[in-house]
Amino acid sequence: MHPFNIREALLAKHAQHVVLIHFPIALCIAGVAFDFVAYWTKRSALATAAYYNFTVAAIATFPVVATGLLAWQFQLEGQKLKGMLLQHLVLGVASSAMICLVWYVHFRSRRAPEQKLPRYCLAIELVAMGLVALTAHLGGYLSGVNISS
Amino acid sequence: MRRWKMQRNKTSRILRTMILAAAAIPSLILANGALQPRSVTAAQEKPGAITVTIDNFSFGPMQLEIKAGTEVTWINKDDVPHTVVSDDHKLFKSRALDTDEKFSFTFKDPGTYEYFCSVHPKMTGKIIVK
Repeated sequence: MHPFNIREALLAKHAQHVVLIHFPIALCIAGVAFDFVAYWTKRSALATAAYYNFTVAAIATFPVVATGLLAWQFQLEGQKLKGMLLQHLVLGVASSAMICLVWYVHFRSRRAPEQKLPRYCLAIELVAMGLVALTAHLGGYLSGVNISS
Repeated sequence: MRRWKMQRNKTSRILRTMILAAAAIPSLILANGALQPRSVTAAQEKPGAITVTIDNFSFGPMQLEIKAGTEVTWINKDDVPHTVVSDDHKLFKSRALDTDEKFSFTFKDPGTYEYFCSVHPKMTGKIIVK
């Protein structure tokens, strides 16, 4: 397989979910970091950067959830999940919802006349980060990144 | 103005409830995992039956030579779920096996049967039936 063959890359036999998942994780972490620094330094440019990071992270959750559900249908033929797979599914959906919620709070506050981000948004962001970290940990464990060679 | 404030308070209450719910989800899941007893599928251990152990993301032994009519039992000793699926996706196909769960299949006809784990397709194995 040639790494720059688009057709082969798009139709690769491995699950696209494990490729796409890195985008919302990275963007969410960057968004939270920008928001906290913006809060302490009172620099609006950083808050704007955080908003755009969360916007793209929220958009990226949709293909990630879709490919995750497709992997469940194709690889496990939609069988009833339990244990670690079920935990990963529930946490994944919850994480995606939290990323979208964080984006929505940002979106609403930017449309408000005072354009001030409510303080509780930072708490939501921390919860979202915790959920994302837990989901990613389980995902990594499921995919076997922890195996000894 | 007052109505707007009341609406803001309501939204804030809803958001607080959602945060608490989101924080509670992982705790409930972790508690559920810790309390749930590990169920073991009862695989009939017949005399002369062969066992393939799934451990550290590999089938052991990876290649097996058996006589026709032998039952092979796969047991998952990994912490993560695995499946056992024949290359043609038709002959045999297990559900996702959790830790210590088993799957058995009797090979009646001679031939070479290759299989893999559908969750981790790099995990492959081969059974040669004589």
